[in-house]
Amino acid sequence: MTTAAERVRPDDAMACAEALARAAAERRTVRIRGADTKSYLGDLVPTDVVLETGDLRGIVAHVPADLTVTVAAGTALVDLQRALGEHGQMLPLDPPHGAAATVGGVVAANSTGFRRARYGGVRDLLIGTTTALTDGTLARAGGRVVKNVAGYDMNKLLVGSLGTLGVITECTFKVLPVPAASAGIRARFSRAADALAAADAIARTPARPAALVVEGPTRGSWQLLVLAEGDTKAVERTIAIAAEAAAASGSSERDADLERTLGPLRELPALSDGVLVRASLPPAAQRAFVDGAQRLEGFSRLVADAASGIARVQLTGDEDDMIAGADALLAAARVCGGSARVERRPERLRERVAAWGDGDLPGLFLMRRLKLAFDPSAVLEPARGPVR
Amino acid sequence: MQGQGPQGQGPLFSDRRERVASDSERRVRAGLRGRELVEGLTRVLGASKVLGTREDLILYEYDGAVDTATPDAVVLPNVTADVAALARFCHEHGVPIVPRGAGTGLSGGAIPVEGGVVVSFARMARILEIDAASRRAVVQPGLINLHLSTAAAPHGLYFVPDPSSQKACTLGGNVAENSGGPHTLAYGVTTNHVTGLEIVLSDGTVVRLGGKAEDAEGYDLIGAFVGSEGTLGLVTEITVKLTPLPEDKRTILAAFPTMDQASASVSAIIATGLVPAAIELMDQLATQAVEAAVGAGYPLDAGGILLLEVDGLRDGLDDAAERIEAVCREHGATTLRRARNALERDKLWAGRKGAFAAMGRLAPAYYVQDGVIPRTRLPEVLRTVREVSERYGLRIANVFHAGDGNLHPLVLFTDMSELPRVHEAGLEILTACVAAGGSITGEHGVGMEKNCYMPLQFAAADLAAMRRVKDSFDPAGLANPGKIFPTPARCREFQLHQVSPR
Repeated sequence: MTTAAERVRPDDAMACAEALARAAAERRTVRIRGADTKSYLGDLVPTDVVLETGDLRGIVAHVPADLTVTVAAGTALVDLQRALGEHGQMLPLDPPHGAAATVGGVVAANSTGFRRARYGGVRDLLIGTTTALTDGTLARAGGRVVKNVAGYDMNKLLVGSLGTLGVITECTFKVLPVPAASAGIRARFSRAADALAAADAIARTPARPAALVVEGPTRGSWQLLVLAEGDTKAVERTIAIAAEAAAASGSSERDADLERTLGPLRELPALSDGVLVRASLPPAAQRAFVDGAQRLEGFSRLVADAASGIARVQLTGDEDDMIAGADALLAAARVCGGSARVERRPERLRERVAAWGDGDLPGLFLMRRLKLAFDPSAVLEPARGPVR
Repeated sequence: MQGQGPQGQGPLFSDRRERVASDSERRVRAGLRGRELVEGLTRVLGASKVLGTREDLILYEYDGAVDTATPDAVVLPNVTADVAALARFCHEHGVPIVPRGAGTGLSGGAIPVEGGVVVSFARMARILEIDAASRRAVVQPGLINLHLSTAAAPHGLYFVPDPSSQKACTLGGNVAENSGGPHTLAYGVTTNHVTGLEIVLSDGTVVRLGGKAEDAEGYDLIGAFVGSEGTLGLVTEITVKLTPLPEDKRTILAAFPTMDQASASVSAIIATGLVPAAIELMDQLATQAVEAAVGAGYPLDAGGILLLEVDGLRDGLDDAAERIEAVCREHGATTLRRARNALERDKLWAGRKGAFAAMGRLAPAYYVQDGVIPRTRLPEVLRTVREVSERYGLRIANVFHAGDGNLHPLVLFTDMSELPRVHEAGLEILTACVAAGGSITGEHGVGMEKNCYMPLQFAAADLAAMRRVKDSFDPAGLANPGKIFPTPARCREFQLHQVSPR
């Protein structure tokens, strides 16, 4: 395909649905673009249409005392956070690309950061959606209340759907008050296993840290970074618990500006250097997975939300080593009882490294039926996700 | 749902004329029925797993709700392979499959409204694994909710969702209904705690989804399945998150002269930045019933009572409790009592957990509604509830999860002839909930109780999207038919005066 894609930029949800219906009728493939921060996900093939969500913007409803906010999906997450911040509130999501990403993109990519440890991920915070479908309708799901079991929880299907089922036009989230206090601690270990053991010890207590991150190797050592948020006394106690856990095999120090360290770790997917594998693992399986990852040729570094069992491994160097390493990590994640994807790889390797390995996911036939039911002409985000 | 007295053995009255599926409706499905069905299932599964006598079947014709319908057969599987085999058989012969846990559901989820096979999970009730290191448990669907937390306690862990029926209800039922409970305000409902499922589709296909990890690649089928009320398939194994037990708790009782003051306090507490583990509200009528039944020590002269709990690390709990008490005082609380020990705390909770059962002290029967509103609309919608109560001449007690805005108005009545009015009053309350931006159900489910009300909350396009999910999982339409979606036969009357959605 040599002709440039047609750009469509609907200014409301209905126009978005109409644009999709047109595309579906003409069997013209559609790519959905928010802030264009995650074009590295999956396979990206040229499409006939690029649908931009940038004009679906603004806060639709925010009643601070209800702790919910409804926002148009093209709104930048930072803009939402700023507006919530004016009321002393926050959406406790800290995804990569947080400075530019749109709310809809964060949901569609199930893009979560480290604070999932305490506050849950996108699926736990998203309580309502409006989605433009390829038949030209707008489907609403959930609502603006924090508890709701009327009908199927369609919101869940959209989280991580990568735009393959419809275009999310509006989202409602649970929000929270900005915590009264926050503090950080940084511990160093000579071995990854020790850092993970300390993280596990903390996760088994009722401390509920806001972030429990293991990363390394940095100058030969492994770090455990613990962010505590909440009431002042509980924060102090959490730091004490973390220090005690670290003392078994490492050393720790308080870090008043832990975000300075966490920020770049969170943005690991933004680095285009090498191959990045993202694994979701049973928490206790992290040690075996990390142990194996370290032995790979091409292993460069690892960053894990140890509370949630979500680990990212960066491979660099020789191309063949990176490819073999990615294969090994996908297999290892499965053996450990989890799953993984190649989140990012250099453009030149896109052909040689499949994002989902052999692509044989549990329940794939059901996913295919869902895809066919929502996008019968298969125009939405072809090749982007694992469901083809 | 309508209960009857303290024992909760099932409804005193059931308005069969109005609610039970008519014979003509049941004949819509031309699948295998009666004796032939029982014999066929017996051939496939063996006699020890199939019930088919009339005496056996009538035990499975009701759950915790009002509706009843007798199954054609009951199957008690021992293992997933049994479930797959029975589903294959039912699929081949066009027989509906209705899963059943403990039968405590409040929306008729376990009622075979279109006949067919009820699958009781009473024999699949084991804990398969407690993986303390990963903070997960793998269980069978028939396991009783409370038994899981009891077994996890020695590991310092528990399962968060705690429906009032937790001594009886099962994990499979919790998954089907996406159950909540008083303590889900801070820590989420069932869907936030399920990471893996083994399901059997209505054609007998066994699918394992997720596991002990938080995310799985592809669409979140677990998220779609939890809360689907048996209409997408049967659950045969569940992996849930276990949560570290809080180190300590503070439980506060706050009594207010009026419901307005009590409900205004709820938003005010949230506005301070605190997210308590639980905020429960009871009105005077409910308090009086509870006191008569349980003697929890609630003041009888209060117009509204809040039961609040904060938990977590010991540090800071007293500060949080003091801040809550200060807000309550500002809003006119006349009594503030903090439990000094576990015994006092249990006593305060005994009142709340026993509230539904205590309604038998007030009236022979009640109908509990389950609507949700944004919590700032509590005072206004509670006034509407009061107004409905007066207009219909029906007493309505309120016992509910105020922190979530999840109302449970209990419409009291004595005589079966009142039922149509009771349902109308309930519908008016739900309509007010939806008008306030809320939902027709927060935790009891749609089932066959509210499927006709779905258009109140959802437009045709919204329901059509859900239908696509249903058809993807259950193309034959045999998984718990007649639930969630409005059916032409039963909902015709309702649609006549249906308001336009939103």
